[in-house]
Amino acid sequence: MIALIRNEVMKMLWKKKMPLILGLLLIFVSLLSYGQNYAYERNIEQFEAESGTAAFNWEGLTTQRLSELEERSQNEFIPEEVRASIDREIEQLNYFIENDINPVTPTAAKFNVSFAEQGIILFIPLLIAILAADLVSNEFSRKTIKILLTRAVPRWKILLSKYIALLIMTTLLVFIIGLTTTLVSYLFFQEWGFSEPIVTGFTLFEGTLNSDSTILIPRYQYTLLIYSLVWFVSIIVASITLLISVIVDTSASAIGILMAALIGGQFLQFFLSDWELVKYFFVTNLDLTRYLTGSYQPVEGMSLNFSITILSVWAIGSIAISFIVFNRRDVLV
Amino acid sequence: MYKKIIWPLVIGSAFVLSLLFVSGFIVSIVISGNDDTAQTETEMDMEIPESEPAEDMPPDGASDILVLGDSIGFGVGDEENLGIGERYLNLLDDDSETGKTVTNISVPGFESSQLASLIESDEYSASISSAELIILSIGGNDLNNLNLEDTATLTLAFDETLNIYKENLTFILSEIRSINPDAQLAIIGLYNPYSDDAPQNAPFLLEWNHETRLIVNSDVGFAYIPTYELFDYHLDEYLSPDDFHPNGTGYQAIAEILFRILN
Amino acid sequence: MDTSVLKVSDLQKEIQKKLIIKGVSFDIRAGEIVGFLGPNGSGKTTTLRMLVGLSKPTAGNIEICGHSLKKEFVKAMANVGCIIEGPDLYDYMSGYRNLELLGSMSKGVTKKDIDEAVALVGMENRIHDKVAVYSMGMKQRIGLAQALIHKPKLLILDEPTNGLDPQGIHEFREIVKNLAREKNISVLVSSHLISEVQLMCDRVSIINDGRIIRSASIDDVLVTGEVVWILDDPKRAQSILRESFDLDPSIDGCHLRASVDSGMLSEINKTLIASGFDITYVENKKRTLEDLFLALTEKHTI
Ligand SMILES: Nc1ncnc2c1ncn2[C@@H]1O[C@H](COP(=O)(O)OP(=O)(O)OP(=O)(O)O)[C@@H](O)[C@H]1O
Ligand SMILES: [Mg+2]
Repeated sequence: MIALIRNEVMKMLWKKKMPLILGLLLIFVSLLSYGQNYAYERNIEQFEAESGTAAFNWEGLTTQRLSELEERSQNEFIPEEVRASIDREIEQLNYFIENDINPVTPTAAKFNVSFAEQGIILFIPLLIAILAADLVSNEFSRKTIKILLTRAVPRWKILLSKYIALLIMTTLLVFIIGLTTTLVSYLFFQEWGFSEPIVTGFTLFEGTLNSDSTILIPRYQYTLLIYSLVWFVSIIVASITLLISVIVDTSASAIGILMAALIGGQFLQFFLSDWELVKYFFVTNLDLTRYLTGSYQPVEGMSLNFSITILSVWAIGSIAISFIVFNRRDVLV
Repeated sequence: MYKKIIWPLVIGSAFVLSLLFVSGFIVSIVISGNDDTAQTETEMDMEIPESEPAEDMPPDGASDILVLGDSIGFGVGDEENLGIGERYLNLLDDDSETGKTVTNISVPGFESSQLASLIESDEYSASISSAELIILSIGGNDLNNLNLEDTATLTLAFDETLNIYKENLTFILSEIRSINPDAQLAIIGLYNPYSDDAPQNAPFLLEWNHETRLIVNSDVGFAYIPTYELFDYHLDEYLSPDDFHPNGTGYQAIAEILFRILN
Repeated sequence: MDTSVLKVSDLQKEIQKKLIIKGVSFDIRAGEIVGFLGPNGSGKTTTLRMLVGLSKPTAGNIEICGHSLKKEFVKAMANVGCIIEGPDLYDYMSGYRNLELLGSMSKGVTKKDIDEAVALVGMENRIHDKVAVYSMGMKQRIGLAQALIHKPKLLILDEPTNGLDPQGIHEFREIVKNLAREKNISVLVSSHLISEVQLMCDRVSIINDGRIIRSASIDDVLVTGEVVWILDDPKRAQSILRESFDLDPSIDGCHLRASVDSGMLSEINKTLIASGFDITYVENKKRTLEDLFLALTEKHTI
């Protein structure tokens, strides 16, 4: 079995998919971080021009905010849990002041997280699809499936080895995405920002803040959390792509079908967010990071656990169907 | 080469990374597990205040309802020109025959600073002091005058505007309190008329509302009236043709939630 | 039967509601080379696909070295090497890597086995080039090597000489014959080239329209029993053969033809010589396989 997996990983590497994916990623990330840096500098200039002061004084603004918060924290009428959250914000701002960091400067740590947040519904699934789409379909279109299936190895083992190889490559790819975004954006921003504290674990929902659950963690931990979610989503997308790849004959149609599903799903969610069924579609549930950042629900009744359950069901279903189809399929190429 | 170097490297790093990701994933679930309870609590929070402020609501009294603030307070977009105040009163009348009247001194387009100076001018001190319920709608114009297009400046500008708004709101509330220590105050939260077009702005709005609520929470006689959720799922139904102000149905919905929270 | 390496009984296959293979049965013994002949679309490839587990028979049984292909796929396939419809390899890798990859899928294939197979098909010089730059014939050779690396007892080859030059075809034939002779490997080979089947195979099965219509040893299939003499007085010889041997010879110029049981031929010749004929030529005429093939599949239209 190990040999089979090793073979499949080798095929994926030799097919030169990784350079293609890496190229796409580099172009995209460079453009984005250049754009963000440019916009930031323009804004500072604009701000300075408008306010008339010599330099943009973030420290003043932050200190002002800090003293305000401290005042509020001392107000005895404030409920205990609100005070806790205020204290966390104070702690956070103190860090910025003590370390002389402008809280709004773009940093590599912020960039890689926002890249993951934005990319998790379309761009990252697309990269995974490039990796996974030809896993099986390519063997059919190139007819190499014949030499693969006439060995003394049962078919399910062959598919399983392909799936495990795919998981391995997906894991590496997620890591590479994180690494690339961090390194490239560092080139532009010249700031790592990984030790800055960030508040997470709350929902700002209709103004209510459950501060029992908010925690202050360094950014590198937060990045890890976000990328763990990206990893999970990637594995789900990879599993679904595997199914498509088993069913269709060419990798082009496999990528096409997956893209249609992703984009169509976004449309569905956009136009029919009242429709109960939409929330059981996998595309609607891909955006897991928003649960961590505490933003809104796209459709009522969705939560992280709900989305994870739905996605898992989709993935397990896809894998099961893949194995059944692959085992039964007549090879007539 | 492949067998000896690349393959062990690939499988080794994949293994380590998987462990890392799995643990990160579990931590995320744990953190957001609290998230879930937070959300259920938020859903419940509409009901919690229902009983609370009811005690503060003096059942007697013939004094008025005063509506203060901007175009939402004024009732722009309401086909029947009733506004929140009148509609709220109608709801009350359904229950009991009270001869209350509504005074509306809202000015469309008002920002928090303008309202602050209006109150400071003592021009309406009489109305404020005689009111039993003061409905306050402010802040929407502060936020709306921000240029929401540009993401990077936005954070800076937003923080500034929010700070100014908070100062003004604190000032307005304490001023009203000093003029009329007994009145029930209801502060209308902001909804997002653009949530369909620009969902990325939602966090700003939520933070805005959150800050408002923090200030409102500091006094038991203040009630915060959430509208964000209300509108988010019914934007088509509740917005007037200008796609910004509520229509009659929208105002009715706000009045109803106000009624539920106060009674 | 112990010696039966491949045993096929009543194999049927339906594709898209159409019965394409209509009950095929045959046996291959150890060390035997069997030719599989048939016109285009007769079902050769379809049959061979089922033999190597690429598609599942609608009915019928396949046993390889005593293992049912359906129930003991792995054990059965461990004895089979095959090329089905062309040598399709991973063309983004070198030939050698292809062999390594496929070899690692079977138990106990060593580097030595791979090198041996490469040497056998004469590809040592180009084995580390990418398959994408190979010529058709080179791919065929790697295709054969790929079928041999795990030392199978049965080779199933579908049109293996497509794209080989005459030299290549000759080498290929010698390789296959040697394998059968020295390593006792059985071979089932389908081919368009009748001459090739004639030169290579011990037995031939002719398939048409999903049915095997003739299955016999090459010699049996080809012997027609017709004998041709060239001698000085055909007329007199004709009457002698009529009277003494009860035959019905015909005369065609200086040729005398007759259908003769091969056991009687030497007796007849003795008599003719004793009668004073001057015999310059005697031939026990064989049909070409082509004649037979055309005769058997005459009414065929695709
Ligand atoms: N995938 C398929 N779908 C439908 N029919 C098929 C399929 N593959 C083969 N057939 C049919 O099966 C029959 C036999 O085809 P097969 O490929 O076995 O012929 P063959 O004997 O190998 O011919 P050739 O000498 O041309 O290679 C043909 O009539 C063909 O139309
Ligand atoms: Mg064929």
